[in-house]
Amino acid sequence: MEEIKGAVALIGYGLAAIGPGIGIGIVAGSAIEAMARQPEAAGLARTTMFLGIAFTEALALIGFVLYFLA
Amino acid sequence: MGLILASATCDPSTEIICAPENVRELFEFRTPIFYLGPLPVTRTVFLILLAAVIVSLVLYFGLRKKSVVPGKFQVIVEAIITFVKDGIAVDIIGEHGARFAPWLLSIFLFVLMGNLYEVTPFVNFPITSRIAIPAFLALLTYVVFVVAGAKRQGIRYIVDIAWPKSVPVALRPLVGLIELVSTFALRPITLAVRLFANLVAGHLMLTLLLASGWIFMSHVGEIGARAAIGIPWFALGLGIYVFEIVVIMLQAYIFTLLSAVYVQTSLYPDH
Repeated sequence: MEEIKGAVALIGYGLAAIGPGIGIGIVAGSAIEAMARQPEAAGLARTTMFLGIAFTEALALIGFVLYFLA
Repeated sequence: MGLILASATCDPSTEIICAPENVRELFEFRTPIFYLGPLPVTRTVFLILLAAVIVSLVLYFGLRKKSVVPGKFQVIVEAIITFVKDGIAVDIIGEHGARFAPWLLSIFLFVLMGNLYEVTPFVNFPITSRIAIPAFLALLTYVVFVVAGAKRQGIRYIVDIAWPKSVPVALRPLVGLIELVSTFALRPITLAVRLFANLVAGHLMLTLLLASGWIFMSHVGEIGARAAIGIPWFALGLGIYVFEIVVIMLQAYIFTLLSAVYVQTSLYPDH
């Protein structure tokens, strides 16, 4: 069997991106649902969506930074 | 390009991680380009000063004549100020939010300007992709929200976080510890790292796609196949370029929004 070569940190970053990817999908999907149900509350839903995305995304970005630090 | 060239010289069988030598550049300042008295001015420092000057000039000329029928420029500047003051400060923080509007506006405009350097032709270098700048801005936010919370609630600000009344007594030490760490350590760190990592990622992506695409394309004479790779590659880079403009504005907005949210949670812990 051939030896596997390459940066282990890249795999780590890939793993770190899975959770936030799913999370952002859920956040955005729910926000769209809320906007479609109540178009008059679209502004509130949008602001909250950005907040949710920002909190979720932080995990992926920490993974990205750790790739360079590792 | 440094990444591509560096990874070619790295042997993956001996080094597990091929960290390019110049990756430290992200965390350190370069050699100064000129001296301002005793202060060395690097490219980053020069761009910081330029951002401050540009923001001041835009605000000064935008609001110099407060005419009843505003000109185009005045409309744009007033729209930005209204967006930050009403859309962020008052909407998020609440009735006392207008007090924080000048600080939020300064942060928003500085981060926006620093980010916009990324897509400015011939500059192409976001100053917010140096950890010192987002870290300092996050520190500023940290001081503001801690001082705001301590001034409004006094010692109860810390006590309420460390000993939350809304959870059962048995869980209070654990939840309090988590809350303490998340409020006083994770908030500023993630605030800084979010901006920093977004801009580094965007900067790297643009540099890699555009520079390597250009190098592939410029070798048309030697190997035609390279051009076939290079042109779609370069086009992808231009697509990312447009995407980055959106990311830039969104990140400036999110940084300001989160600063406002942090102040709001330390002013009104109940909601």
